Amino acid sequence: MRIHTRIAKPFITTLVLVLAVWLIALPLLEKSAYQKASATGEPVDLSLVHNAAFLISLTGLVIGLYISLLHTSRYVDDLKTLTRAAEELGEGKYQEINLAPMQNSLLEIRELREALQKTAEQIGDQFTAISKERAMLSAVLGQMTDGLLIADQNGRVRLLNRAAEKLFAIEEKEALDRSIVEVVRHHRLVELWEDTRNGPAKTITMEIGSMHKYLQVVGIPLGEELTGRSMLLFQDLTQTHRLEVIRRDFVSNISHELRTPMAGLKALSETLLDGALEDPTVARSFVVRMDSEVDNLIQMVNELLELSRIEAGYLIFDFLQIEPCMLIQKAVDRMMLQAERAGLTLSSNCPTDLPSVFADPERIAQVFINLIHNAIKFTQKGGWIQVSAYQDGQMVVFKVSDNGIGIAKKDLTRIFERFYKADRARSGGGTGLGLSICRHVVEAHGGKIWAESVENSGSDFYFSIPAVYLENHN
Amino acid sequence: MSRFTLDQEIKLVQDEMLLLGSLAEQAILNSVDALRRRDVAAAKGINLEDKRINDKRFAIENHILIIFATQSPLAHDLRVLAAMLEIITELERIGDYAKGISKVAIRLADDDTPIPIREISAMADKATSMLHRALGAFVSEDLSAAYAISKEDEEVDEQYRTIYRKVVQNMIKNPEKIDHADQVLWVIHNLERTADRVTNICERIVFVVSGELLELDNTDDEDKEA
Repeated sequence: MRIHTRIAKPFITTLVLVLAVWLIALPLLEKSAYQKASATGEPVDLSLVHNAAFLISLTGLVIGLYISLLHTSRYVDDLKTLTRAAEELGEGKYQEINLAPMQNSLLEIRELREALQKTAEQIGDQFTAISKERAMLSAVLGQMTDGLLIADQNGRVRLLNRAAEKLFAIEEKEALDRSIVEVVRHHRLVELWEDTRNGPAKTITMEIGSMHKYLQVVGIPLGEELTGRSMLLFQDLTQTHRLEVIRRDFVSNISHELRTPMAGLKALSETLLDGALEDPTVARSFVVRMDSEVDNLIQMVNELLELSRIEAGYLIFDFLQIEPCMLIQKAVDRMMLQAERAGLTLSSNCPTDLPSVFADPERIAQVFINLIHNAIKFTQKGGWIQVSAYQDGQMVVFKVSDNGIGIAKKDLTRIFERFYKADRARSGGGTGLGLSICRHVVEAHGGKIWAESVENSGSDFYFSIPAVYLENHN
Repeated sequence: MSRFTLDQEIKLVQDEMLLLGSLAEQAILNSVDALRRRDVAAAKGINLEDKRINDKRFAIENHILIIFATQSPLAHDLRVLAAMLEIITELERIGDYAKGISKVAIRLADDDTPIPIREISAMADKATSMLHRALGAFVSEDLSAAYAISKEDEEVDEQYRTIYRKVVQNMIKNPEKIDHADQVLWVIHNLERTADRVTNICERIVFVVSGELLELDNTDDEDKEA
């Protein structure tokens, strides 16, 4: 039933009742009063009739109004429930809206209830979808390695992702609403932001602050939907930049290293051609020097090839189970003559109860020779070099000590980099590759290489190799 | 004018001061980098940058004076503005130190004599890091950071003394390189002074927060320079 008939019905009933009293009951009552009067001859007294009619209609009216009140109040309650639900919807409490079906209610009210319930569910769905999307977006923002900052037209920071938090050492909640200057603290970044706010996207590369971070920064205006906002995207190129610097140094180093023996060779051959060839003793000494220069060159090229092979992982190791003392003895024997020539005492000290190691004897000999060779080079005449070994947990540690010039603290960690020379003036003809090769060989064995040193009183080089524990050893 | 605009004006000046700080910080780092790379062009660029620093300093000073004249700031606002007036002078001086280092970089560009550049870089990194954090502490009015940063000046002094000894030893060993060594001493002197200026900035932070004018640098300047 439609709402207007529903609400009108009790009124109409009341009206019909009252009209019926006045139109039908009243004439009938009056008629019977006249008949009674004519029969008895008494004067007509209509007041009683009128009073009765008035009372009846009044009662009808009251009853009708009461019924209509009862009738409508149920609908009013329903409407109130719906109004409250609509208000809750506005407050965002869409989850709390759960309207009971109003089966006895009016069609309109039932329709309204259904519409409201549906809206609440749809809003719920949309909210879930949006929050899922948000979670996805914030996961992307949080996990991306590039820093990201969004600032509005007035230069207030509106968004800062985790990478950017780290870059500028500030938390997002601290940074929000602050000026971009306060957050990024660098004039070039602020200039970039000013440029992109008023113009097209732009990219710059820069080094930032005392941390020497090397950044590529892209400034992007965010366009029509977010007018005035622009985004700065920070890519940390520190690592790439560092590699680039290493590569540049490498090329310049190797050119330099190759040029020196080449220049020596050229000078010697020119002197020979200019007449020294005629003097056999001079010529011979020249050719001997040329030969040693060529040896230097060959060694350097070989080491370079070796290093590139190791670094590329092409080198094949031939691992054997072997006694540590045998490794030491072999190396010491091989280097004894060189040490004696340099006026140094080379000795070894190897406890016999060490466990065997799993190693490629040739490669380990190479490591020893490199380390002993360095010790010879950096120890003054009359000094000593000692090679020893000891067990440290699961590892056997080999040690090459000398009482030479030592290594400055700042150089200790860098000497294993290729081409690194702590003291160019004193390192003489070395290639700067030896220790780098040692490191690769030791690491391929599953060990570590390190150095300790006190300047002017000597150096200790250590490397460790895993010991072999046989099943029946215990 | 209302309080709201005074707050805004102070924030604007503060941002400008931070930008000036960034210019000074980068100038120091760039000058040491130019020294390392023997890059004359980069060193000359720092001279131009110094002009920019000076201009910016005057612009900020002007801005602060206008605020004084038109807004009559009181109490905390007055201290912040007065402190910034002082700090921009310190920053401008730091810019001059960078210019001094870049001049040395130009003079030494053709000289192959080794410079203890790694130690000098470490010193510049330390001093600029102090500067960066001190200005941050000014903005956030972080009193404990101000005290901590001014303490770090001692580390820079120690770095200074270490390099100083090394350079002087080289002077004794190679008297013909005294001119070169003298230039290097100039560089580390400028870096050491930079850190001293940062200590002055820290004093201003204490002033803003507590209203007290304290001397945070315990060593006497004359002692240090002797």
